Amino acid sequence: MDDRRPTSLHPECPDVARLGPTPADGAVRALAERVAADAETRTDVWRHGFSRRRFLAGLGATGVAALGSQLVTARASYGQPGATGTLVVVFLRGGLDGLSAIVPAGDPHLAAARPRIAVPAGALLPLDRGFGLHPALAPLHQLWARGQFTAVPAVSTPDLSRSHFQAQDCLERGGSSTGATEGWLDRVLDHLGPGTTFRSLAVGNTTPRSLVGDQAALAFRGVEGFKLGVGEGEFAIRTAQALASLYTGLDHPMAVDAAMTLDGLAITARVAATDAPPGVAYPDGQLGDRLGELARLIKSDVGVRVACVDVGGWDMHTNLGTLDGGAMKQQLTSLGSTLGAFAQDLGPRLDQVTVVVMTEFGRRVEQNANAGTDHGHGAAVMLLGGGLAGGTIHGNWQDLAPDALDHGDVPGWNDYRDVLSEVVAGRLGLGADALAAVFPDHRAQPVGVMA
Amino acid sequence: MSEPVRGAEPAWARPPERHADADTEPVSGAVRRPGTVGAVGLLADDPAELSPPAATIAGLPRRAVLAGAAAAGVGVAAVVASRTIGGGTSEPTRAAASKPAAAGGFGTRDESYANAGRISATVEPGPTLLYPTAGEAAAATQVVVPTILDTSRPALHLLRRATFGPTPEELAEVEAGGVDAWIARQLDPASIPDDEADRVWGAFPLASADPATIRASIERDKWDAALDFGKATLGRQIWSRRQLFEVMVDFWANHLNVATPGPGSWDVGASYHRDVIRRHALGSFTDMLLASARHPAMLRFLTAEQSTKDSVNENYGRELLELHTVGVAAGYTEDDVRTSAYLLTGRTVVGERGPGEEGTFRYDPGKHWVGPVSILGFSDPNASADAGLDVGDAYLRHLAGHPATAATIARKLAVRFVADIPPPTLVDRLTTAYVEGGTAIQPMLDVLFRSAEFWAAVGQKTRRPLENLTASTRILGVRPAGDVRQSMQSLYNVTGKAGHAPIAWPAPNGYPDVGAAWRSAGGILESWNSHRMLVGDWQDQLTTPDPRELASGATTAGGFVDNLCARLTFQGFQPPHRDALVAFLGSESARVDRDDLAGGAVALVLDSPYFALR
Repeated sequence: MDDRRPTSLHPECPDVARLGPTPADGAVRALAERVAADAETRTDVWRHGFSRRRFLAGLGATGVAALGSQLVTARASYGQPGATGTLVVVFLRGGLDGLSAIVPAGDPHLAAARPRIAVPAGALLPLDRGFGLHPALAPLHQLWARGQFTAVPAVSTPDLSRSHFQAQDCLERGGSSTGATEGWLDRVLDHLGPGTTFRSLAVGNTTPRSLVGDQAALAFRGVEGFKLGVGEGEFAIRTAQALASLYTGLDHPMAVDAAMTLDGLAITARVAATDAPPGVAYPDGQLGDRLGELARLIKSDVGVRVACVDVGGWDMHTNLGTLDGGAMKQQLTSLGSTLGAFAQDLGPRLDQVTVVVMTEFGRRVEQNANAGTDHGHGAAVMLLGGGLAGGTIHGNWQDLAPDALDHGDVPGWNDYRDVLSEVVAGRLGLGADALAAVFPDHRAQPVGVMA
Repeated sequence: MSEPVRGAEPAWARPPERHADADTEPVSGAVRRPGTVGAVGLLADDPAELSPPAATIAGLPRRAVLAGAAAAGVGVAAVVASRTIGGGTSEPTRAAASKPAAAGGFGTRDESYANAGRISATVEPGPTLLYPTAGEAAAATQVVVPTILDTSRPALHLLRRATFGPTPEELAEVEAGGVDAWIARQLDPASIPDDEADRVWGAFPLASADPATIRASIERDKWDAALDFGKATLGRQIWSRRQLFEVMVDFWANHLNVATPGPGSWDVGASYHRDVIRRHALGSFTDMLLASARHPAMLRFLTAEQSTKDSVNENYGRELLELHTVGVAAGYTEDDVRTSAYLLTGRTVVGERGPGEEGTFRYDPGKHWVGPVSILGFSDPNASADAGLDVGDAYLRHLAGHPATAATIARKLAVRFVADIPPPTLVDRLTTAYVEGGTAIQPMLDVLFRSAEFWAAVGQKTRRPLENLTASTRILGVRPAGDVRQSMQSLYNVTGKAGHAPIAWPAPNGYPDVGAAWRSAGGILESWNSHRMLVGDWQDQLTTPDPRELASGATTAGGFVDNLCARLTFQGFQPPHRDALVAFLGSESARVDRDDLAGGAVALVLDSPYFALR
């Protein structure tokens, strides 16, 4: 490959084609080169002093995180053609009781173990392989009918304990106690190659552990309210320039964060200015706010590839409730209707989005003395969006007979790393080598969730 | 609460027994960095939701119920051969680890965040020495770590770490009287008059009220009193002269976190923070732990009040071990967790119907499980229900004095005061100080300030959102005026929007204390906006600084910038950064006659990395 670095190669320039095996890859490489050149220009200017000229003009336009290491070590991902789109990971914090959501309807052991809280089979929305969906998740059943929803029961990974922190930390680092210190999504981004400032989003106040690492993620609550209180116009431009310069030449992660904040401001301003009326009404609440903002950004083509959203409230040790009411019904109703609204809001874009809904562990089969459930092991994973192999429930399953269980828990008959590998390969186009690096010490086995 | 359902009694609900078979651990190894023991952060309902719910939410308490009731894995980690239905492979599956430490990985949330990726991988070994006095340590220690902060003024470093933000007055006091005198005075907070902070505190009567008064003053389950306490706390963090005390209060409130506002704290939260945390913040951890284990706020928060010998709830039993004392790396088993829970049964909170005053602690022997116990070196026949409270206290004393607890607290203290990945030599020294001091806190602080590692760590911490706000308010010299309640509400809202309102973290593990957990564009923007807000027009709430006064009347941009940097960060900026500020104002010799530029320059200095680091 040619070594000369193009400094201002336009994506439509015929030379772009030679930068990569496909025009799409070449364009991505050209973009990376352009941004690296921008960063160098700015550092150069900063080093030699500057006046008030708008040397930042290029930065907002390319909208790329100029100081992140993902550009310094730019690696284009030569994945399958058309492997674009967005992976959304919704993490249910606290341990979702999978047996209340993806219910093994016909299994008599379930009713026997949960006289107060088992969902009656007659009320379930039918899925496949003897499983039914909790009726509060009805919006997801509509997606099921279109082949845009599926699930895998009994998912876990070795080395998981019953500590919330430890289980979440283990899963978010890629499911093993050794080696991996970054989040698994951080490694995915490392192999995904260069992208825009918005390629990796944590919609909320903080960055979840899965995104923590050297690849910079943008953590914010959404376009709404993401403004610096300096109005618009000349004063705002001066301020942004000064902020950018104050964080240049600083060898510290906060330099990356500041640059991304400024890029984010420029881009969200444009998104907010060109906004279409909201497509759907989301249910009230934090999840609705955040998924609404995420949908807006995905539809605005700012290059979101990976997004994370957290939902709490699943640690139901007491009074899980029934179909008449209670914590589980309330939480599932909110989750189902919000995810349904998200799918509807995306419209045809849903085909390019895959949502993985995961949790740290499932709950015990047997209810406890407070009509709740205690920490278990195997969990249910739900998936929605495009590219799924619909119409069936995937993965290994036996039954809930006591001798099939592990000390009263659903075992991990399926491994998280297999499910996530398959999604990442299908949705983001990572190859086998990349996947081996994302989930070290693991050979991914097919589960069949992606078409 | 209705009668608990009694189906076939599952194995986990049976009281502790002697198990002949040892726990089999999964193969993949021990907790990362076995030398550093830490408390595991358990995440409850909304670990990622750092913002407390808005005050307008009607008082339905969110249950921050946690890990706890019943771990299933008694003894052996089984390997189950899968008889597959529906295709797929027949990989054997594993059960959950029966000893949390055996599951591997990091011991605590903060350790996990701080050690992620290449950025924080290597920590240069620095000076390591204990001096006879803090003053000698300060004078002798060479700061070799790279930082943009001025390393030539140890007094400034001390204030950045031991207060909620340096001020010119405080710096002058330390440099005049010496660090030893300042530290000694700060360790005797009662000797420091605190009128201004007292006045702000006094604007929130519910913060000083006992639970009965609060119950009589507000609607049941509403968060008025809890929020008032949070605002009053913020007021002390900003304006108290007893700064080291306030820093330690914040430290302990996070360690023995009870979300305020949060489930069960509507009436008793204020009392918890006064009688458990503030009373013992510079005392002994044993006293604080014992007090917390009898306080209604803690017993409600960790659902210990619902845990009885017939229907045990392992929430508190687990958190006590995992977060409050020894930590996961001490190697306790799920059996130990269960035993811990059973041993603490009987500690209840009086309900609406009595007997006695609602919301008070009551030990009920009828709910206490009897039987011999043995956990982490503590053994007792526990043969009498009436003596159950005393046995529980003996267990707590044992845990408080346990070496793993010493190491846990030592490490957390070092993270707070020194660096996100603290020097192991310092952690060891603090551990010893804790043990030799009989769990007293002041000996640890004494050793900390006499250690070279402390003085060598200039600029190695980042200001978290709460710290950024308090430091900004303090350095600007903002003072309460007019409607104090209104101004505190505004300031409290800033911290809430950034997800860092004082004492409001919803889960038992407290706010993260490492920079890696706070990296967020949203958070940065909140900080930047708060700086502009502080310089703006407060309309009779707070007295705002005049930018021109802060710049000591300099009339040209160059002088204006130099004076501002010196006044707000006590140092000059590196030339390119200084030039950026001058360019903002125009040019070196330009006159600063636009008010918006003058105010904007103040905000930019606070936005800069020179202020974001501490």
